[in-house]
Amino acid sequence: MSNEFTWRFTTLGVLLSALAGFIMIQMLRIQISPQADDLRLKGLAYSGNLTTIIPARGEIYDRGGNLLAGNTTVYEVGVELADVENPGTIALALNAVVGSNYDDIFTAASVKPSQNAVYASLARSVTTEQKDRLEQLLGEMQKAYGDSKGQDRPSLAGLTFTPYLQRSYPEKSLGSNILGFVSREGRGYYGIEERYNDQLAGETRKVWISLDPNQVEDRPNIPDGVSLILTIDRDIQSEVEKILDQAINESGSEAATIVVMAPKTGDILAMATTPRLDLNEYWRYDEVFMDSTPFNRAISKTYEPGSVFKVLTMASALDGGTVKPDTTFLDTGSIEVGGNVIHNWDRGAWGPQTMLGCMQHSLNVCLAWVATELRANRFYRYLQAFGFGRLTGIDLAGEAAGRLKLPGDSDWYEADLGTNSFGQGVAVTPIQMAMAISAVANDGKMIIPRIVLSFVDQNRQYNTSPQIAGEPISPETAHTLTEMLATSLEVESSVALVEGYRVAGKTGTAEIPTPTGYTSSQTHASFVGWGPVDDPQFLVYVWLEKPTTAPWGSVVAAPVFRQVVERLVVLMNIPSDKDRRRLMDSH
Amino acid sequence: MNRVQSLTQAYSQAPWRKQLQWIGLFMLGLILVALVAGIYLSVSAEASSNGRAIQAMYADIDQMEREIEDQKTQLAFLTSNDEMAKRAEDMGFLPVNKGEVLYIVVPGYKRSGQAILGSPPGSLVPDVTILSPEYTQSLFDWLRERIFEPAAPLVQEVRP
Repeated sequence: MSNEFTWRFTTLGVLLSALAGFIMIQMLRIQISPQADDLRLKGLAYSGNLTTIIPARGEIYDRGGNLLAGNTTVYEVGVELADVENPGTIALALNAVVGSNYDDIFTAASVKPSQNAVYASLARSVTTEQKDRLEQLLGEMQKAYGDSKGQDRPSLAGLTFTPYLQRSYPEKSLGSNILGFVSREGRGYYGIEERYNDQLAGETRKVWISLDPNQVEDRPNIPDGVSLILTIDRDIQSEVEKILDQAINESGSEAATIVVMAPKTGDILAMATTPRLDLNEYWRYDEVFMDSTPFNRAISKTYEPGSVFKVLTMASALDGGTVKPDTTFLDTGSIEVGGNVIHNWDRGAWGPQTMLGCMQHSLNVCLAWVATELRANRFYRYLQAFGFGRLTGIDLAGEAAGRLKLPGDSDWYEADLGTNSFGQGVAVTPIQMAMAISAVANDGKMIIPRIVLSFVDQNRQYNTSPQIAGEPISPETAHTLTEMLATSLEVESSVALVEGYRVAGKTGTAEIPTPTGYTSSQTHASFVGWGPVDDPQFLVYVWLEKPTTAPWGSVVAAPVFRQVVERLVVLMNIPSDKDRRRLMDSH
Repeated sequence: MNRVQSLTQAYSQAPWRKQLQWIGLFMLGLILVALVAGIYLSVSAEASSNGRAIQAMYADIDQMEREIEDQKTQLAFLTSNDEMAKRAEDMGFLPVNKGEVLYIVVPGYKRSGQAILGSPPGSLVPDVTILSPEYTQSLFDWLRERIFEPAAPLVQEVRP
């Protein structure tokens, strides 16, 4: 009996030992087999996920802290192909709720699951409301048909919803030309979104996240993208856009641009132009910006500015000592410069005129004479000092440099000196004009226009400082010219005058160059002005393209300046000149 | 010789007693192993449970961050320029014109020029690990740390 048990136990022991030995050998064999590395990698792949952490894109605020560009949660709707029961129901539901194409969805959801086909993305940018509706349908179908069998039973099984953040613009089209937009792939296009794309987007990182709860690790702190506070004032921008739209309607202009700048800091308070795009529907870009229309005319579209340029010609001549405000010029109605005969806007002769009269009546002949007296080399040195022919450095994507022909260039002729003096034959952008003329409004100092006031990175705010682009003229010249231009508006009782506030300014009407020469039937009407004269707080540049009701800047652009200033003084809390003096005296 | 043998016999333990001692020792060892295994299992289970909780909390953080972003944007939509203008108009307000504003001097009042959305740049606070080691280290890691790594000084140097 005892021997019999011993034999049985021995046999069982040997068998179990052999099994254990076999398992040990097999484990060893797997460990040292050529496929061991592959198996290890596969094991690793199941132990966690290599997750790409995309930080939230930085927000964009106006100078008052109002959100101009934020983020909102949207969903990617997809299917786990192995769980799909009825692709037709899925296609029908997405077509009804999201508006997706039935055939596309049906095809994508019908793919046979395999090692390479596990998941299919069906729709992106699905809103929370749409996702909730789909989830509701999913539940209702589960409840109604969950127990039934058969291939044709309606089912949304397999649908998944993955949340992610998408750019959202609460102000819709307000300031759209400044902001730019972000594509579905998360890349910024135009304006601030493109210029500061890297800072706004933040640093995307790939992080291994273990599924084993025993190996849970502290997730690295990946900061959100840098937020920006702009110099733009939302209320001013809104008012200026309204005035701009009204001006286009009233003047029958093709397009228009208004730039409002603080001359002492270079802050762009508003930059309104047309067309504008609701940035939440950025995919309509092609419809809105047809035929190579620039996204932001204020910085990208060059044109011949016309008589507003005379401000800079006169500033150069006064600063160079060539003329003084009371220097007299006998206007005979024409002048020849480099073989080209120049006439006044009315083709008339205005007789003896001081420099004040020349500016007041916007006499081309007088300004051409001033430029010739200054000489070409000095004239162009001044224009270069004013920043023409190069970028202003404004922190927006897509700025154009314009063109300033210089003596020595193959296409420069002496005749250009005459035409350039009154703003023809030179290609500039509105922002270049605003920056150059800001030197006259700011004691001769020209400040680089800026859009970003502060960066907010990880809850720390870094303010930017105004950057001086140069001092093309002396403070005395700036004061003298400002006084001349203020007096000139007052003497001619310009419609640009704002009751209670002394402002300086100049109108501009430019003929438009065509392949066959200049056309006088279509013009560019402009006005540049600043104020209050004794302490300039704003500079406003108005440009109306091809107005049809009247071609003159003094008729169509000057009233727009006045309307803008009337709103500006309220929104910027600038008391009238009389009130300011009273307040200063009482203080 | 006989005397020695009889002494050995007199003091030697009975076989059943020896067997009992061995069984006792074995049982003691078994209990010790079971105790250590039990503690290890309990700590591991707690660590796993906390690990799961941490994973869930990370998911919650992600969701909350998305919700915060969402709420901020929704608030911005509700307080957008157009909406506020419409609400003001509905309430009977009119845009103020330049002649209707009365300016007065308020001593000590300084108008805020721009939005403050962050603290000024200064000494940056270094990244602080949120997860304490108790949630990630194993029992053996903890024992190793206690045995081999030097203890922290009781009094730490304080820098002004």
